[in-house]
Amino acid sequence: MKKLALISIPLTLALLAFTSYLALAVAPTERTMGDVQRIFYYHVPSGWVAGLCFFVNFLASAIYLWKRSEASDAMAAASAEVGVVFCTVLLITGPLWARPVWGIWWTWDARLTTTLVLWLIYVSYLVLRRFAAGGQTQMLAAAFAIFGFADVPIVYMSIRWFRTQHPSPVMGGGENSGLDPAMLHVFLINLAAFTVLGILFVWLRYKLQMQEQALESAHAQAALKGVSQ
Amino acid sequence: MNPIPFLHAAYIVAWVVYVGYLGRILLRMKKVEEETKEMQREK
Repeated sequence: MKKLALISIPLTLALLAFTSYLALAVAPTERTMGDVQRIFYYHVPSGWVAGLCFFVNFLASAIYLWKRSEASDAMAAASAEVGVVFCTVLLITGPLWARPVWGIWWTWDARLTTTLVLWLIYVSYLVLRRFAAGGQTQMLAAAFAIFGFADVPIVYMSIRWFRTQHPSPVMGGGENSGLDPAMLHVFLINLAAFTVLGILFVWLRYKLQMQEQALESAHAQAALKGVSQ
Repeated sequence: MNPIPFLHAAYIVAWVVYVGYLGRILLRMKKVEEETKEMQREK
């Protein structure tokens, strides 16, 4: 595992550096917004990976409720935490893009508000896992995650259902949507790089969660032995 | 308003968050490994 991590971490960071170069120096400049539109190449992939992680969390939680396996609980914990990290970047890069383009940092429109609610839901999920006492924490967290995931499709559909400050979908948004082929090319490469980064984070975090669970049960067994002697 | 500092800030923040998170995971892994080894030694 260590060897694989030693290879995959620098490779992923190099890939991300290369895609950043493509986004900053190779992609054409957008006509109306200018260079600041290049935030798009980080903003949208971060949102995509966050959504993907929350979907994995939903699946892992459902599997945990069904099979009660420690591995699926570890996967749920790992994917939720990584999703929150990507969602945090989404919520930071959004206002940094909005300020020069809209003239405001934030507005309570449907997309922005539902995304903030999504972030709060998964932060609450992590807080629940961290601080809930008793033996039911994993089950409570899994049930919470299943209900919490309901916000993900709402976030996705919000710019289709409502007229908002946030722009309409760039892709798959009807006749007038779409990207210049040169931009699309760079965007898809960035999307792939961020997905690889997300997979790397979830994999490492999952391994860590499993190690922590093993250590915890070893401590519990040692304590039980101490009590019985 | 010059938008370039906003562009740079967005990229820098993203890198800081991602590399910082990666560092945090690796540090925690190291700590758990050390604790596991210590526990095995105590046994």
